[in-house]
Amino acid sequence: MRAQFVLSETWIGLRRNLTMTIAVITTVAISLALFGAGLLVNQQVSEMRNYWDQRITLTIYMCNDISPTTACQENGAATEEDRAALEQQLDSLSEVESFRYLTAAEAWQDFQERIGSSNEALAEAAQEGDIPDNYRVQLTNPDNYDTVRAAVDGADGVDSVSNDQRVLEQFFGLLDGLKWAALVVAGVQLAAAALLIGNTIRLSAYSRRRETGIMRLVGASNFYIQLPFLLEGAIAGFIGGVIASGFIVATRFTLLTQIEEWFQFDVALGTGSLLYVIGVSMILGVLLCTVTSFLTLRRYLKV
Amino acid sequence: MIHFDNVTKQYPTQKRPALDGVSIDVDKSEFVFLVGPSGSGKSTFLRLVLKEEKPDKGRVHVAGKDLARLSNWKVPHLRRRIGCVFQDFRLLPNKNVFENVAFALEVIGKPRRFIKKVVPEVVELVGLEGKAGRMPGELSGGEQQRVAIARAFVNRPQILLADEPTGNIDPATSIGIMKVLDRINRTGTTVVMATHDAAIVDSMRKRVIELEEGLVVRDQMSGVYGQAY
Repeated sequence: MRAQFVLSETWIGLRRNLTMTIAVITTVAISLALFGAGLLVNQQVSEMRNYWDQRITLTIYMCNDISPTTACQENGAATEEDRAALEQQLDSLSEVESFRYLTAAEAWQDFQERIGSSNEALAEAAQEGDIPDNYRVQLTNPDNYDTVRAAVDGADGVDSVSNDQRVLEQFFGLLDGLKWAALVVAGVQLAAAALLIGNTIRLSAYSRRRETGIMRLVGASNFYIQLPFLLEGAIAGFIGGVIASGFIVATRFTLLTQIEEWFQFDVALGTGSLLYVIGVSMILGVLLCTVTSFLTLRRYLKV
Repeated sequence: MIHFDNVTKQYPTQKRPALDGVSIDVDKSEFVFLVGPSGSGKSTFLRLVLKEEKPDKGRVHVAGKDLARLSNWKVPHLRRRIGCVFQDFRLLPNKNVFENVAFALEVIGKPRRFIKKVVPEVVELVGLEGKAGRMPGELSGGEQQRVAIARAFVNRPQILLADEPTGNIDPATSIGIMKVLDRINRTGTTVVMATHDAAIVDSMRKRVIELEEGLVVRDQMSGVYGQAY
């Protein structure tokens, strides 16, 4: 095995088809960047889901003196008995993992902590008592929202039942759409990249048919004959992958940071996830190019 | 060394078989001329020896190996035992004489030290001493063919196949080429040469196998090109 010989043949191949090589690298880079972005969004969404699934609580707001709903207007503030009845009912529901009662003061405190850092004006405008006392109900499975809601809604002293998940699901839906759009475009681009690589390797094999013909004749092994072409594909794929990694890192620090800021929660993707996405994209790029080169060679380089 | 047993080869696009039940034996260190008009099956014979084609019927043994039983990945090893020379030289125009000959060793993974030692020897054997640095474009046809022979012989094959090696070369120069092939034959290498060159065949007085329409019509020791013509 003469590494130097193989590498110099590879280099000659890449240089001789420079324009095609650039086209391949560009296409691979774009498709992998889209693919990586899709993966990133996917990871972000699943991390956010995780975060929210642990924290999602059904909030049951109790009536107080200033509640505007008609039910509360008619019956007045929730009484000690209303709360006892509600707690009993919550205890009996198997969908309920646990629940916690927050007094109006605690609810206000919690609100200040959650909103205070990012929206001072809103935090300052809210006063103790604006937020009624409520129950934070942890569900065994966030999907059981409707069952629990139906059970407690309209009970005596209950003002309203709210669930943040509704709002979140819309947003997740948007992100999912974004992810699929990126992955579909990436798929089309990858197919185009594969065709381009096939063409490039074909050209390369054609322009070196004299060399490969002699190699075959003097008994060079198939592997030795094909290796420079395979490396040519692999290197183009690798360079495309490196460029794509740049795009992926940029996506992480622009688009996803933006999304995190909107949400005001600490669910930033770690370096580990970023490296994972880059790793998967690079491997996909190199594999795609090498395998396509291999398949092309089987057709155009008779051994 | 080469053993054809009732070999038939039919190309799909042709009505008549290229070789039709041919049986030929070539022994070690023999020198054989393969003669006959174009389309008589000479090239097919050479391609079958190299396992570039597979016979439809019959058996081909080369260097003690039954080619039908030789798996595809072992074919390169068979070809390392066979040198090939063609009418059109098939040199690499961007490599000089030394590099062209060395190429055959590089691509089968021989170490550089070995290449530096044996290439000059072979270049000298074919009569090109002092021209190792020339490019193929700077050489005459005869000299180019000597380079091609050096490349075919540098790995010391057991068999040398030559497909009309003098086809592009004037008669005077051809004699030089034949001397080189004869020298190689004397080292114990079996030489099979397909040719149309009557003068050369007549002057060498070697074994002559004549093919016509895929059949062996003559196999003669110390023969001449064509007594029938």
